[in-house]
Amino acid sequence: MPAGSDVLADILAIKGDLEYGEYLASECTTCHRHDGTSEEIPGIVGWQAKDFAAAMSAYKSKSRAHPVMQMVAGRLGNEEIAALAAFFESLGR
Amino acid sequence: MKLDRRLFLSTTAATLAAPMVLGQGRPRVVVIGGGAGGATAARYIAKDSEGAIDVVLIEPTRKYYTCFFSNLYLGGLKEIEDIGHTYGTLAAAGVNVVHDWAVGVDRSARQVSLAGGGVLTYDKLILSPGIDFVEGAVDGWDITAQNAMPHAYKAGSQSELLKAQLMAMPEGGTFAMVAPPNPYRCPPGPYERVSMVAQFLKANNPTAKIIVADPKSKFSKMALFQEGWADHYVGMVDWIGADFGGANVSVDPGAMTITIDGEVTSVDVCNVIPAMKAGRIAELAGVTSGNWAPVNAADMSTKADPDVYVLGDAASQGDMPKSGFAANSQAKVCANAIRGALTGSRIFPAKFSNTCWSLIGTDNGVKVGATYEATDEKIAKVDGFISQTGESSELRKATYQESEGWYAGITADMFG
Repeated sequence: MPAGSDVLADILAIKGDLEYGEYLASECTTCHRHDGTSEEIPGIVGWQAKDFAAAMSAYKSKSRAHPVMQMVAGRLGNEEIAALAAFFESLGR
Repeated sequence: MKLDRRLFLSTTAATLAAPMVLGQGRPRVVVIGGGAGGATAARYIAKDSEGAIDVVLIEPTRKYYTCFFSNLYLGGLKEIEDIGHTYGTLAAAGVNVVHDWAVGVDRSARQVSLAGGGVLTYDKLILSPGIDFVEGAVDGWDITAQNAMPHAYKAGSQSELLKAQLMAMPEGGTFAMVAPPNPYRCPPGPYERVSMVAQFLKANNPTAKIIVADPKSKFSKMALFQEGWADHYVGMVDWIGADFGGANVSVDPGAMTITIDGEVTSVDVCNVIPAMKAGRIAELAGVTSGNWAPVNAADMSTKADPDVYVLGDAASQGDMPKSGFAANSQAKVCANAIRGALTGSRIFPAKFSNTCWSLIGTDNGVKVGATYEATDEKIAKVDGFISQTGESSELRKATYQESEGWYAGITADMFG
């Protein structure tokens, strides 16, 4: 199993801190619209936590390309990715 | 419960007479300036405090034109109304939007005075006034000359004026720009403007020339812009940097001439972007040192007063550029800290980020970005990236499209 999968499993094992996630999400909503619509930049509101965590892990490991997202994800720890994933998923309920 | 009128009146009178302090009614945050810093801070504090904090936003204009993307209007890619935003949604979200000028701050009394005569008491004050120009920065130019030689560095009527002058240029005419010294709002802005002016002229007046007098010897995204000018606008742009006398400049708005290192040139349009300083209200509040307001990186509070915060262009904070993205980022850190201080909500570590997109030509976008953290001394850069010369046209188009998405995102984040 590749190392990236281990990291993702670690993130998914964390119960995300919703309040922290809401704060961290304010960095995302400078570009990703808070109403969830996509306009050249994809909407991320309501994503499943596992999908969100997988995407961020891929950017962080640079296995998924995009300089802005690699930079943003690069400084997030597992707790922070879990918090963000939990928050964005909660908006879809 | 039925209200006791006498008790109600006495309570109201006491509230009006004394400054609001914690524990006595709702605490009040006054925000001066409704741009990327101020509008964002007001919206986040109102949204996240769910009514626990009284948020007042003071902004003189009823419609705010973003400086970012105003160059695209000059280049013909946007209409002026595409970059105009009103405050109705913010007001509906609970922000008390006051269209007036703040003309004074009494920090000992915690009061802001308005040009219309009102006085507002605050518990926390956020200043996000953007920039003003340093008087006497460009020999021959002052604010009375801004119709003959527009700055167009506060978007709106100045942008429209510069566009009209650009459109009226005679065939083969000359467009001059006086670029500003560091530090200034939007480091790539003057050079994106050169690109957008060149794009307009290439399509409408292809024998016209652009002269740039620059007091700097290098500038943001320099290699990217110079590559783009050589590729798209062959022979049109003459950039005169500090090494070639670009700092030795004067203008004559009456004669419509610019003198660069002793050489006088008649011009048809002259875009003078003078040296900048914090918006005047920061100086009036007594929180500036030199041209800018020094702040603490952890929460954007000023070094001068822990209850007065400065966001965006007006702040001296360390490594972040003066950009709308940066102001928006700082606003969220500040909003979290202020809400925590006033309501006891959780305060999280400061995290900042910035990305600046610039357009060199249609579908030719480039970007630079970085992340930042708070240290005891300043906002310090952590990591960053920049577009590369020689990128494919597909990537450049994708970068431009991404900037369109960012514009939609950040304006929604600011104005609701």
